[in-house]
Amino acid sequence: MVAFLSFVVIVLLFAVLVLIARANELSLVLKTGKMDFTGQSRVNGYLLLGFLIVMFAGSAYSFKELVPVMVPKAASEHGVKTDQLFNITMLIIGVVFFLTQVALFYFAYRYNESRGHESYFYPHNNTLEVVWTVIPAVVLTGLIAMGMYEWMKIFNVEARDKNMMVVEVTGKQFNWIIRYPGKDGKLGDRIIDATHISPTNELGINWEDAKSHDDFMADKIYLVKNKPVLMKLGAQDVLHSFYLPHFRVKMDCVPGIPTEFYFTPTMTTKEMQDYLSTEPWWQTVNPETGEQRWKTFKYELACAELCGKSHYGMQKEVVVVSQAEYDAWVSQQAAAYESVKPKTTDEPKAEVTGTTETKVQAMLTNK
Amino acid sequence: MQTAHTVEHAHAHDTHEEHHHHEETFLTKYIFSQDHKMIGKQFLITGIFWGIVGGLLSVLFRLQLGWPNETFPFLETFLGKWAEGGKISNEFYYALVTMHGTILVFFVLTGGLSGTFANLLIPYQIGARDMASPFINMLSYWFFLAAGVVMLFSFFVQTGPASGGWTAYPPLNGLRDTSVNLGSGIGFDLWILGMSLFIVSALLGGLNYVATVLNMRTKGMTMMKLPLTVWALMFTAVIGILSFPALLAGAVLLEFDRLLDTSFYLNNIIINGQLLGYKGGSPILFQHLFWFLGHPEVYIIILPAMGLVSEVLSVHSRKPIFGYKAMVLSIIAILVLSFIVWAHHMFVTGLNPNLGAIFTLFTLLIAIPSAIKVFNWIGTIWRGKVRLSSAALFAIGFVSMFITGGLTGIALGNSAIDIQLHDTMFVVAHFHIVMGVAAFFGMFAGVYHWFPRMYGKYMNETLGQIHFYITLVGAYAIFFPMHFMTGLPRRYYTYANFETFNNFDSLAAFISVAAIIVFLGQLVFVVNFFYSIFKGRELKGEKKADGYEYANPWGSTTMEWTAPIDRLHGNWPNEIPAVHRWPYDFNVNGKEFIQQTEPLKPGETEHS
Repeated sequence: MVAFLSFVVIVLLFAVLVLIARANELSLVLKTGKMDFTGQSRVNGYLLLGFLIVMFAGSAYSFKELVPVMVPKAASEHGVKTDQLFNITMLIIGVVFFLTQVALFYFAYRYNESRGHESYFYPHNNTLEVVWTVIPAVVLTGLIAMGMYEWMKIFNVEARDKNMMVVEVTGKQFNWIIRYPGKDGKLGDRIIDATHISPTNELGINWEDAKSHDDFMADKIYLVKNKPVLMKLGAQDVLHSFYLPHFRVKMDCVPGIPTEFYFTPTMTTKEMQDYLSTEPWWQTVNPETGEQRWKTFKYELACAELCGKSHYGMQKEVVVVSQAEYDAWVSQQAAAYESVKPKTTDEPKAEVTGTTETKVQAMLTNK
Repeated sequence: MQTAHTVEHAHAHDTHEEHHHHEETFLTKYIFSQDHKMIGKQFLITGIFWGIVGGLLSVLFRLQLGWPNETFPFLETFLGKWAEGGKISNEFYYALVTMHGTILVFFVLTGGLSGTFANLLIPYQIGARDMASPFINMLSYWFFLAAGVVMLFSFFVQTGPASGGWTAYPPLNGLRDTSVNLGSGIGFDLWILGMSLFIVSALLGGLNYVATVLNMRTKGMTMMKLPLTVWALMFTAVIGILSFPALLAGAVLLEFDRLLDTSFYLNNIIINGQLLGYKGGSPILFQHLFWFLGHPEVYIIILPAMGLVSEVLSVHSRKPIFGYKAMVLSIIAILVLSFIVWAHHMFVTGLNPNLGAIFTLFTLLIAIPSAIKVFNWIGTIWRGKVRLSSAALFAIGFVSMFITGGLTGIALGNSAIDIQLHDTMFVVAHFHIVMGVAAFFGMFAGVYHWFPRMYGKYMNETLGQIHFYITLVGAYAIFFPMHFMTGLPRRYYTYANFETFNNFDSLAAFISVAAIIVFLGQLVFVVNFFYSIFKGRELKGEKKADGYEYANPWGSTTMEWTAPIDRLHGNWPNEIPAVHRWPYDFNVNGKEFIQQTEPLKPGETEHS
């Protein structure tokens, strides 16, 4: 009923609007028999000037209110650099935005026909046109050069640290499968064929490969501060995209094609919380948790490529810690092989069954 | 054949002006019309229909995004199972965003924009009686309509319309398995069919536009005397002809994967621990094929708007377009560059990093011709005598939007920055402003300006200006603050699952309110448009010796206003006038303006 009534009200409003507009137009034409735009040009000149001011005020207000709420500063080595590049770019385009919008709206106001002047026949000016071609070209060349330099550095395979960590993350509808290489630092081979892929081994891990025996599955991504990590990425079913907003990391996960991203986290979760605890917005209390926002801060992994109906739910926590904390965490993890290795008779039964097995099993099938 | 027929018909007019030698029935005049003007109106009205549908879809998903925790019982009344309990389901949400994109990009801003103005303006402004092939032109509209009917039909199948994004990436859209993606059933088959019909329409239309401009210009109309509208529309058609076939091929192969179990785009797909039989394909191949059209497509959308705006700004500023040659050359530069930037949509697909660097280079280069155009538009207004009518206001709004949206492209086009920005709300803000809103502004400028040419009546100025301010303020209110959602992934049904993204609730609600207001504001245009067709202020002119009434409502120099107010089949009752000068002689030789058809005075040199 409410919906119906509001519909009726809207229809009536439109009818009234049309009648007023019609009357207004008739009155404008009545005087001269022709539509006279002088008065309208005057009003619209002022309105455009007014809009210019409102637009800049709105932009400034958006900055003040929204910048503090944005994803905080980069927590990775390359992220600091790309953020700098982003800021330089935004500064340049901010200046151009300001100057061109002022020129556009001011000229529209200043030279509207109500001001009783004649237009100036001025078809071109080659010098001027060369100037405003060359200036953008030079500025853009600078931006291109800086961008290419950072880009090639991020993807420079030769410059990778030999002691980097390796973590494998595989996207599926609608979860992430996280596999760590264990003590040997090497991930076991995977074989994608009908004999290896099964609901209990959806990655197709080749258990005959000894490198797989100490690999373990995790529910969170643990990384070490200042230790480079190579993310080995893949997808089971459809495209996903491995997105770590705080680390400025994004790389698609493609079924059948391996991808990777190499980066170095520079702040532990704790350090980021400490940093944010000094920021006014992060000090405010989140009504949902009843705590100051910085206290519940965590790094997160999200999916950034539409992957189906629950695309928005593919969340995992990322934890950055010191090497010692990381080692302690690793020592608590059970190798996935424990649950699948052939059972020998002399092995005590209690060790194989029990909670560890169910836990790993659950992780493997991601139920 | 059809050309010969038209010319013959026109000759008949030459000799027996009042005598129509073949009867036009309602069916041949309004439905199966082969007259470029009528076909243009058919495209426009169909485009308006799709604009309303596409806009309405965005209002629906903005309800979800703005108030993710609320329910709207009336939604269940209208949508049934798609909105049980008054809350749009996540599956339907993805169908809404997918179809919103498809409809607005292709059916409104490609078909509705190019279709309308290429048909209306090319023959009129080059001085031709009709298109090179009026029959193919009619087919182009009918394929467009059929494509639309198929798309509309897909809303009513059990599993709903396509829901895997307007980019149709496989494997999400490559498996005909509705448990992977609900809209990937018959809904997506219909999407492919609809798009294929659409591409046929675009190709038939495009070939015709190019052939017409190249072959059918009136006497004296050299290429460098063409108004910028015609340049823009012709090059738009060229881009379409060269790029649409890639999408058609891509879409057909995708349907092969879906129906015939081929593996063009599929490899090692594992669903619930079961390995499917696809081997050796590449999902990335589809992205290359898609964006080989997809990126030129944004220029297919924006070039006609640029052409319309150049013309409208010049006429309403009573001043020549600044730097005509630079404007033509920058269109050509955009055309060439538009084909070598597509992979900037794919920076983070695992593409070879060297390619990423090259595509950054070309992408940022395309900013140069765009900048030239912006400076030239501003230069056109400078020291003009600007008549701030609805058409001029929308043209100015276009330039403002194009600046704002274009500038953020410089950040996105830089691959190193794009790692973070890719597939986030920053991108959504960028492309909506630069190719969505801006193209709409160009289209509106064109409709307000050429409505008298189409219908012999004016649109209501007051309503037009109300429409302008609602749209200008509203569109900025929607998309400017959206830039600050940098980092928030796009195509999210809710951000509630993430601590990181969950801080923009009040902004999301604000954007939704603005979106609803802007949508209602567009209805002001729709009401104005249809009201003015029937009840608008009459276009009055002077009767000439041939018995026809002629009018030039805005004081334009171009050819379309040298034809009578009546939309005659063949456009000119007598011989087509010859052209003697360029289209931008405003306030020169002591005259307020000089039409292109006016011969040079003795001693006057041609503008070059």
